Amino acid sequence: MAADHSHAHDTDDGAVHVHIAPTRFYWGIFGALVCLTIATVKVSYYDFGSANILIALLIATVKASLVAAFFMHLRYDKLFNTVAFLAAFLFLGIFILLTNDDVLVRAHDHGYAQKMNLESGQQAPGGEPATSATADDVAGEGHEGAPSGSAGHGEKKE
Amino acid sequence: MANVSDTAGAVGHAGHDAHADRPDFMQHHFDTPTQQFNASKLGMWVFIATEILMFGGLFCAYAVERGLEPGIFDEAHHFLNKIMGASNTVVLLFSSLTAALAVRSAQVGKRNLTSFYLVVTILCACAFLVIKYFEYSHKFHLGLLPGHCFGHPGLSAAIQNGQEVGTCLHVDANAAQVMPEWVKAVDEEGHVTLLPPRANMFFGLYFVMTGLHGLHVIIGMSILTWVLVKNIRGKFSPAYFTPVDLGALYWHLVDLVWIYLFPLLYLVGKPE
Repeated sequence: MAADHSHAHDTDDGAVHVHIAPTRFYWGIFGALVCLTIATVKVSYYDFGSANILIALLIATVKASLVAAFFMHLRYDKLFNTVAFLAAFLFLGIFILLTNDDVLVRAHDHGYAQKMNLESGQQAPGGEPATSATADDVAGEGHEGAPSGSAGHGEKKE
Repeated sequence: MANVSDTAGAVGHAGHDAHADRPDFMQHHFDTPTQQFNASKLGMWVFIATEILMFGGLFCAYAVERGLEPGIFDEAHHFLNKIMGASNTVVLLFSSLTAALAVRSAQVGKRNLTSFYLVVTILCACAFLVIKYFEYSHKFHLGLLPGHCFGHPGLSAAIQNGQEVGTCLHVDANAAQVMPEWVKAVDEEGHVTLLPPRANMFFGLYFVMTGLHGLHVIIGMSILTWVLVKNIRGKFSPAYFTPVDLGALYWHLVDLVWIYLFPLLYLVGKPE
């Protein structure tokens, strides 16, 4: 009935024809996405060093590709839509890479990558290890957690 | 225009204008429904590209800050609840599935089924926001919110012995034995942890990125509701389902952004 209706408007070439995937196919994609979500959560409990974020981003990209290709129909769409979509990621990549190339190769200002309490000289956890004599002595003087935490994190970095 | 087919009976106001033979969903500047459909889709995809670039600014900020001070991310991400984040991921993925099925139902002309899937999608969006509300309020309670209580010299959102959780304390750096710039908080595993001085930066990113995403969830719900109303009124058919398709595309975009936000905020950093 509906098909007849669309044919009523002349147009053997003008009517919209799209690829219609079966319902089960969409459920299959959803199942794959849930499995990948579980996988990425499980993986996050293991320490692979700097590979953790790469694995997480890889899984996220696989998931995003599934969503874009099938839920968003890019696979069956005009190719130019895919080009427009991927162009965004191309320019986003340029943006992020060049920005990081600027910021991350600068000499670090005092107190920027080096974290310490300017009052006491205690080094904070995280960041780059202290190189100056300012954060020399305080281990053991402070309160629970802070200095030992500081040392621990210094070791954990590389 | 000159292509007059024998459908005058199908259109009540024949002779109203020269376009009386055209489907009523078709705008005057298009030649065929396919042309209109493809133009709409391309416009939507260009819009999606701009959305990605808008979120891209935040992802770039994330990359810079994480590159500069990865230790902050290692420490601070333990304050996000992986289970809640994963639940929200599955909720959003499921809503994406139902949005795709709504489009499929519209494509094959099952109007009631389209309405059903749209309602399920909107309900999933509500569920997402409810879970998000619990996460946000928990962090507000801990004082892990951007603002003057967090990370400001001389002020500390702290848990001290005998002090209430999350209160905004004034700390006299000379007199007190507390660390002015450091923040103590209880993470998801119940450990009392010292957060690095600029951990507010992580939570600032967290709140801005998830907040902008949450705004998109709300906008997406509004769009899908509008599509639902039009669908109930019978505006769509297998010949014309573009609003369903584009509304679903917007919803998938919301899903796409979350697919990246979830691992970048909840799962990065060293496990304990």
